[in-house]
Amino acid sequence: MSETGTTGAAESAPPRPAPTDAGAERLSVTGVSKRYGAVRAIRNADMTVRAGTVHALVGENGAGKSTLIKILSGATTADTGRITFDGEPVTIHTTADAIGLGIATVYQEPQLFPDLTVAENVFTGREITRRGKVDWAAQNAQVVELLELIGLPARYSTVAVSELSIAEQQQVSIAKALVGNAKVLILDEPSAILTDTEIEVLFGVVRRLAASGVSIIYISHRLDELFLIANEVTVMRDGQTLGTWPIEELSVRRIVELMVGGILEDTPPDHKAADAPPVLVLEKLSCAGEYADVDVAVRPGEIVTLYGLIGSGAAEIAETVYGMRRATSGRMLLEGTPIAPPSPRAAKKLGIALLPANRKLQGLFSFQSIAFNISAGHLPLLSRFGTWMDRGRERTVARDFIKRLAVKTPHERQPVSAMSGGNAQKVVLARQLVERPKVLVLAEPTQGVDVGAKEEIHKIVRSLADEGTAVLIVTSDLPEAIRVSDRLQVVRAGTTTVEFGPGASQADVLAAAAGALDHEEAA
Amino acid sequence: MSTAVSDRPPASAPQDSEGSGPPTSRARQLLSGVVRALLTQRIVLLLVLLVAVVITMTTLSARNYLSAPYDLSYMSATLISAVPLVMLGLAELLVITSGRGGIDLSVGAIVSLVSMVFGFAYGEWGWPLWAAIVLAAAVGGLCGAVNGFLIAFIGYPALITTLATYYAYSSLAVVINNQQPISTQPIQDFFSAAGTVPVAGLQVPLGTITFLLPTAVVIWLLLNRTTYGRRLYAIGTNDVAAQWSGIDVRRTRFLAYTAAGIISGLVAVVTVAQFASARPDAGVAGNGMALPAITIAVLGGVAITGGIGRVAGVVLATLLIVWLNAGILLAVPGNAGSQFQLFALGIVLIFAALLNGLTQRKYGGTG
Amino acid sequence: MSSQTLSPAGGPPAAEQKHTAKERGRVLPFPITGQEIVLILVIAVLWAALAVSTPAFLTSSSVVPLLVAMAPVALIGIGMTVIIITGGIDVSVASIVMVCAVIVAKTMVSSGIPLPVAVLLSVVIGGLLGLINGVLIAYGRVHAIIITFGTANLFKFLGLQIFGGTTVDNIPGTLDFFGRGAAGRTLGIPHSFLIMLVIAALAWYYLRHTAGGRHLYAIGNDADAARLAGVKVQRRVLLAYVLTGALTGLAACFVIARGTSTLAPNVGAGMELAAIAAVVIGGTSIMGGRGSVLGTILGALLVQTVTSGVTQLGWRSQLSSLFIGIFILIAVGADLLRQRTRRTA
Repeated sequence: MSETGTTGAAESAPPRPAPTDAGAERLSVTGVSKRYGAVRAIRNADMTVRAGTVHALVGENGAGKSTLIKILSGATTADTGRITFDGEPVTIHTTADAIGLGIATVYQEPQLFPDLTVAENVFTGREITRRGKVDWAAQNAQVVELLELIGLPARYSTVAVSELSIAEQQQVSIAKALVGNAKVLILDEPSAILTDTEIEVLFGVVRRLAASGVSIIYISHRLDELFLIANEVTVMRDGQTLGTWPIEELSVRRIVELMVGGILEDTPPDHKAADAPPVLVLEKLSCAGEYADVDVAVRPGEIVTLYGLIGSGAAEIAETVYGMRRATSGRMLLEGTPIAPPSPRAAKKLGIALLPANRKLQGLFSFQSIAFNISAGHLPLLSRFGTWMDRGRERTVARDFIKRLAVKTPHERQPVSAMSGGNAQKVVLARQLVERPKVLVLAEPTQGVDVGAKEEIHKIVRSLADEGTAVLIVTSDLPEAIRVSDRLQVVRAGTTTVEFGPGASQADVLAAAAGALDHEEAA
Repeated sequence: MSTAVSDRPPASAPQDSEGSGPPTSRARQLLSGVVRALLTQRIVLLLVLLVAVVITMTTLSARNYLSAPYDLSYMSATLISAVPLVMLGLAELLVITSGRGGIDLSVGAIVSLVSMVFGFAYGEWGWPLWAAIVLAAAVGGLCGAVNGFLIAFIGYPALITTLATYYAYSSLAVVINNQQPISTQPIQDFFSAAGTVPVAGLQVPLGTITFLLPTAVVIWLLLNRTTYGRRLYAIGTNDVAAQWSGIDVRRTRFLAYTAAGIISGLVAVVTVAQFASARPDAGVAGNGMALPAITIAVLGGVAITGGIGRVAGVVLATLLIVWLNAGILLAVPGNAGSQFQLFALGIVLIFAALLNGLTQRKYGGTG
Repeated sequence: MSSQTLSPAGGPPAAEQKHTAKERGRVLPFPITGQEIVLILVIAVLWAALAVSTPAFLTSSSVVPLLVAMAPVALIGIGMTVIIITGGIDVSVASIVMVCAVIVAKTMVSSGIPLPVAVLLSVVIGGLLGLINGVLIAYGRVHAIIITFGTANLFKFLGLQIFGGTTVDNIPGTLDFFGRGAAGRTLGIPHSFLIMLVIAALAWYYLRHTAGGRHLYAIGNDADAARLAGVKVQRRVLLAYVLTGALTGLAACFVIARGTSTLAPNVGAGMELAAIAAVVIGGTSIMGGRGSVLGTILGALLVQTVTSGVTQLGWRSQLSSLFIGIFILIAVGADLLRQRTRRTA
């Protein structure tokens, strides 16, 4: 494993941009903190971005990157701290403030208007007009220039955004950000949905912008890419900025060690999975456009984790197991029998349960009670003749789970909207456990959950496995993946790659996921 | 429609209490508690308003401001108009609660069409009453099923779809008997079904016992005691989560519209009895029946976004409107009175909607 | 979710990847959509069929009343198009017609005002009523359907109060210019129709070529994103309802012009549904973000053709409602299909 961590392609890549006005400070934050309720998202963060540099911002999920970006883009305001721009202190209260300063942000989800053309999207809110009429020619001319800069065909200028692919739409978002003569461009995980060629084009754009004096804040989980594009790297962990280093002083390994901090290197409990045949097997499972050639096997009592970053395809694999998505080739076997559940209902009947990744959108019935939320997936069971609700039984089941999962609540009638993330997550988890499933799939099980509840949920999952359930976790939370699993498979670019056994080091796994360890087996 | 700020804390999350103000007195806490109860517990608010209306009207009556006495026997006599209102209000309750912009503008048109069908069956073809009623319910259910199929299975937006079926059904109602109402002998005799029965010394319209109460009870049981009711509230609260939980979202929604159709069919029977005639414009005359039904649902606490709504709310809202309207008729006699009712209905709807929106934002929904 | 091909590492270069993006050499997308072309064809076919079965159909004594009848609906439809593009709706227009009509009629009878004053009065009143709608919807954050249901009732109450329980009789022919008799036409085409076309052209231009017009589409696509981009969402929504109210006021004058010298309280009944039907059949998406005035004009023409045709053929007049309902369902279905074939949700 090479120390520098760069891939072979880097040797022929164009040199990283030399920062112009080296040392000229463009944007600086000092002592910034922000809390959401009881959770401190960032505390005392410091970061200085110089003009004409590509400044990478890295950190684990929950390290505070998104919050810092939201503060810089005006989507939220810091509780404490100072921001200076070109040496002058500034306040950024709204997105308009940020844009006015010249800070443009491109989010992962392109915020475009599907029915309007690319040119219209780029110019919404700042149209070029001549005597009241929109000057289409002038707008198009500028957009064509931008499109050529970005690497999209010029004719896209008059094409409705809805007809472009997601990757192309993201590129349009970048073009939109550039129209306002941005001095600082924030790119949030831009490469997550791009192919390698598209990434090359993106890098070309980034280099040209940097050369013209624009500062780029580049957030990415793909550490190998940083060595192709970034000048400096700021690492965040647990809401704090650990520091900023020139990229020359770093390696993928080193960055990983900083991100991870070496605290949670637990030795996983001595756990022997049953030697029984696997309950769930995915054999060369593929779904066109999402993932391909996925091989997974989960034995009863075993916890297998698919670790993948956003865009890796891991989430879509979980959806297929649960019937929310159809595979286009390959096989799925449950206890030896091929299955292809067409819907979650069918999957549940087979004994597969799934905890959805996005609690608010896919899991919770927000203003309904805990009991309602738990029983929603098991109405036939908790009723007589499948029609008359057995409310006594429902109450008992709810109370039972409240106790078992240590849900903090006065009673089962409390609406879940008032609960903390961790407690609410336990309620959704309870729903999956009512009818003891054969296979339990957990998607991002502790996202947005505080440390204490996280710990408890892990213990619960562990004990479920001990009782014989086959558990498949899909997560982008690295420490969690390592702590809980018996076996960990890295999912990258739509396919399962390296597999790690218990005792894997976080650095190795992260490196594998970042691409520095392709096709290498770790002990 | 995606927003960039995905993990923004919910609007109702408690603010960081940095620095506290002066301690609030017990009285102020009590007052804010009462206000909160009034706003979030729609039943409470409706009861309060109902009591206020009744007291106002009986006081005006006692002081001879009204053209006729506003007493218990008057109040119970006016219940005749409550019957179709409660029933259609419950129909709207079902479809609005099913979520995804659920609404049914066609209920009045279904009433018209089924009135004619019932008129044919009972008034001209000589069917026995029970069979004609069953037919009415079935035809109404079929009309509702068309709505449900388009909306739940194909994905048509509810508003424009039920607008289109409103057009279609109301035109069929008129065309089916060449715009002529059916007032044959059996129909005219049926008027007796709109008579009253003595209950606790008052003359209560028969329709409340034979139609209103059973419907309200059945719907209440459906919503509160059956698995279907749970599924309905689930899909109305969050149909994505319902899908992930294994609930058959489309079938549940489809059944809601079908049930609304069945109820509309039964309302047609009531209407024929009330007017002693099967009229082709029964449900669409004037404002039509859909608007008052939707008003009552919204007033009764049904959230237009789905997932919230109670039978008690609809019933109380109906009583409020009916007895308020009855009082207006006595206070402002003649045409002006019925016009003023229009005004009252409009104001009430807007007020109720604004209130629903406010409580949803501040307190996370009405109880 | 997305159906694009995300190739794993080492996919084909961008130039080889397939796009379904259409080739457009112009600066803007083509002004006529497929749906509008279909509508033109359908109308042409219907007219041809009617001309064949009732020779009287293509005479000016049939066509002119048809144009006169569809003009007010189309005019209201122009405003309704704007509203629906922003994602709203307005079911109170029928009541606005009633209020404007009764006030203008009564004023004409009692004070003998000239045409320009009558029109100004009607437009201003309509605009004020539209303002009420606009304020409640733009700033009250309640669904437009509920608000306009409520204001429909309120305005109707107001109108009935002004009617005072009787009809308005002996209305002078001040407004004949809009469409009654020879004075109401130029080259055989009724003035109300021509005026409506002019306004439609202006609206078309506004929607297509001004920043404000494009902002309306942005709002209908994603009101939050529009706000973040700097669009004054609430102001635009408010103006949409005021504009519709004003246009409805003008339409009320057209309605008076084509009626008798007696105005009854049921004036305007059903016009909201006709306008909405015209808009939807014309291809504007009820979900917002897409639509054009040309489609609405064609939709109104189709609706009126069906109504007049049914009468001409001697069928029951209510059958036209049935056909309109079916056309609405077909149009919405077409819109759904269009949405399904889009790449993004």
